Amino acid sequence: MANDAVLIIGGGPAGLEAARGVAGLGARAILVERRNNLGGAPINERYAALTHGFRDAEEVMNEIIAEVTSEALIDVRLGYSVAAVAGSAGDFTVTLAKEGNGHSDVVNVGAIIVATGFQHFDPGRETQMYGYYEFDDVITLQDSERMLKDRNWVRPSNGESPKRVCFIQCVGSRDRHIGNEYCSKVCCGIASKQAIEIRQQVPDCRVFIFYIDMRMYGYWENEIYWPAQEKYKVQYVKGIVTEILKKGDKLLVRGEDTTMGRPVEVTMDVVVLSNGMEPSAGTKEMARVLGLKQNKYGFIEVPHDALNPTATSVPGIFVSGAAAGPRDLDDSVGTGGAAAMKAVSLARKLARGDLQLANASR
Amino acid sequence: MAKYFDSSPSKIKYDDVPYEKKEELFQQVKSDIRFDDYLYGCYECGICVAACPSARFYDFSPRRIAQALAREDVELVFQQMNEDVWDCSQCFSCLRCPRGNNPGGLITIMREVSINNGLRTAKEALEGYSRIIYKIMSTGTQVSPDMLQPEAFPDWGPEVKQVSDNLDLWRRALPPETMHTTTTSWEVDEKTIVELYLIWSMTGVMDLIRNVDKNLHMILTDVMEERLEEAGYEAN
Repeated sequence: MANDAVLIIGGGPAGLEAARGVAGLGARAILVERRNNLGGAPINERYAALTHGFRDAEEVMNEIIAEVTSEALIDVRLGYSVAAVAGSAGDFTVTLAKEGNGHSDVVNVGAIIVATGFQHFDPGRETQMYGYYEFDDVITLQDSERMLKDRNWVRPSNGESPKRVCFIQCVGSRDRHIGNEYCSKVCCGIASKQAIEIRQQVPDCRVFIFYIDMRMYGYWENEIYWPAQEKYKVQYVKGIVTEILKKGDKLLVRGEDTTMGRPVEVTMDVVVLSNGMEPSAGTKEMARVLGLKQNKYGFIEVPHDALNPTATSVPGIFVSGAAAGPRDLDDSVGTGGAAAMKAVSLARKLARGDLQLANASR
Repeated sequence: MAKYFDSSPSKIKYDDVPYEKKEELFQQVKSDIRFDDYLYGCYECGICVAACPSARFYDFSPRRIAQALAREDVELVFQQMNEDVWDCSQCFSCLRCPRGNNPGGLITIMREVSINNGLRTAKEALEGYSRIIYKIMSTGTQVSPDMLQPEAFPDWGPEVKQVSDNLDLWRRALPPETMHTTTTSWEVDEKTIVELYLIWSMTGVMDLIRNVDKNLHMILTDVMEERLEEAGYEAN
């Protein structure tokens, strides 16, 4: 039986926005989240401030979560994952399995939105030169977010307040050897945002950012990049670090200062690896269960990133957020809303039996 | 504060000083009232270098100046205060910086700090300018034909001697009004010279001159003493 209910897989920013969008259009939304909480990466990874506006991530996400959970048209299923799908656009039969206890539910929906997101690149996986698993004071962006959130940004090795900290950009991104040739899009802004937060929380700590290109598009330029340089005196060094070595209880960072045209060897107390995005395990699993085409990087393939960013290779199944590739919060929430609109309109056209219109709205 | 980058050890032509002294010079530059208006941040677009005439002829980059100061690279700033800043022609083409930086203005500050602290390189760089300053204070104009001497312009080649030997004749042959003199270019009102001196005196330029060339400073104050009195000012 055709209906306009939409199943949304993933309770992060994109999935939450998709659920709000579906309900806003007057359709029923079933929001499935494998974890026992909503909020996605900002909550699970314990992010500190969000761009834009530096608002507390937990506070912002809780506002959105409260809206979603109080909406009568949204049925939130925590601790569930999608085990099987049958049927086609306008009439999907989906088996939801409760994690751990073997209980399962079958739901019938007209369309599906995949919002299973990304995972942070594991810098110990390939880039051993940075010694992520070797040195306690080599950390990732999400490690740094947690310390910022706790307002306890210290050297993990000894708990002391750092005097010199550097970020290394493009770790796990823009790298043919690793296979992630794409830019992860957010790391420049996040590193700069964190640099500002470190300078706010540890004022006598100097912060350096080693980069290839700074990609501070749109308002990130004036909201983050310029203040980081001008107000917070964060030092941007064009050149990428080749390796990190131990020197006494410090880290010796070797690279090139391409601006001044000479090699650099400096010691740091903490090195933050600006690790990029990869498709999450959930994204890869959902692509398999739902039979969605993936691109060479494992993200879910869309017909056109700009002109049709929410469709997938399967009619009636849409994608939003970073499941479809590296996306910032702006794009994730934006595609969440777009996917809701596409999903509901397709389901309704199919319910009315208007196949011609339905084909046109894919 | 440890130095930021290891400077290359090659070709040191200036006198090294203890790190504390370099830090002090840097702080003098940084605490100049103009500094914050001249330096915001640099994203290394290179437009200042592209616009810079000196960058075409010397190993000089206004971007490196801005960058070194922004990074608070005390060692490099000291090196630049001894070398790079004297390669700038102070044309301020670098003002087209989209971030609103003023590398030329930063160089102005760095030069003044160099002079005020008596760096030998500043004296050497400004040596040739003593006669120009003297010419201004004595005639009101910074160049005159008789300054065209072979030893002052070795890079102009042997033709300079031909001109300078018969300067008076060449001068008389020129169609425009030249006052038939080789010691000045045109007539300057006494009042203009006095006002220029007062401006230099009040803005600290005379102090800079004293720091670079004590004798010149003495000559200038002597030359001006009488003029100032005639104009109704006290010598100090």
